[in-house]
Amino acid sequence: MTNAGHRLLWTIIALLLVAGGAVALAASLGTLPGVDSAAVLLSADLVDRWRMAAPWSTLSAAAVGALVALTGQRLLARELRGPGGTLRGTLSHPGRRPGRTRLAADVLTDALVRDLTGNPGVRRARVVLTGAPPHPDVWIRVDLTADAPAAGVREHVHAAVRRFAATAHCQPAHLDVTARIEPGHP
Amino acid sequence: MRTANRVASVLLAGALLIGGVAVAVQAVLLSLNRPPLLDTASWLDTLSGTRWREPTVRAVAGGTLLLGLAILVAQVRRWTPVRVSADERDGWYLHRRCVERRLTDAASAVPGVRRARARLRRHDGQWRPRVRATGDPAARAEIEFAVHQELHRLTAPRPARVDVRLLPRRRTA
Repeated sequence: MTNAGHRLLWTIIALLLVAGGAVALAASLGTLPGVDSAAVLLSADLVDRWRMAAPWSTLSAAAVGALVALTGQRLLARELRGPGGTLRGTLSHPGRRPGRTRLAADVLTDALVRDLTGNPGVRRARVVLTGAPPHPDVWIRVDLTADAPAAGVREHVHAAVRRFAATAHCQPAHLDVTARIEPGHP
Repeated sequence: MRTANRVASVLLAGALLIGGVAVAVQAVLLSLNRPPLLDTASWLDTLSGTRWREPTVRAVAGGTLLLGLAILVAQVRRWTPVRVSADERDGWYLHRRCVERRLTDAASAVPGVRRARARLRRHDGQWRPRVRATGDPAARAEIEFAVHQELHRLTAPRPARVDVRLLPRRRTA
């Protein structure tokens, strides 16, 4: 899940906590209309109605529990999967003549990573393709060595992307490169 | 904050998964008149015997409200971006922490500077380096020069100015 997704999720949770806390505090202070602050949290009447509604009440609780567990499982899967929208299939090109050219996205990203790390100034590289196959968005992260000439590496990265676009006939719709540079040795 | 959000989301997901399964299994066992997984009778007794006006309820409600407000403020306030845009035309970004470390190293290497710490802060839509150092006050110009040189080496955009706060070394009595 993205940072913006996390931010939205926790803003919603925070608003729910604020609303719940404010309502409970108002009920406790006796300022909430319709709630007597001398009443117990769980009235005997409510417990009786729950027992009278069995087994439907317990079955509905089981259904709610299953939905909550499913939500947790989906959220956990999204957290462990990493950024969404990554191309894992093939890039497909319709040709001028009948037939299509299919290129495995993993092979293409591996090839671009190899090209990027061919420069001695690039210690590690990571490439992610997202978006629509003919013109994907290319996200690159390069870890540069402390003594790497940043201008030279920058030119090398753009040359590698140009080679990638020419070889795969796949012009990136959007290119995003993040460079991390090792600390220098003063 | 980004890491905290991720860790909190994983914990929340785990809690929802475990709690949801526990509720579902407990409810199914109760529906089948089987012995339940958890003994909820004591929880029921506690909730049936606690009144809204009790200090415990107020403390929990107040704590929930404060926790919600704290999370809300943390999410809504402006976060310092992870990356610094070096050139928006070609999509080249530099990792902010890495640049700060390099600027710190560059400022520390200036003769007469004992300790230095560099930060990048956005000011009027531009990045401005702020260097806080301990050492010879005469080294200010050299620190500015070293920071400009390091930014040029990293192909980062040239800032309009560099804020340098230079504290003189304390003399031991």
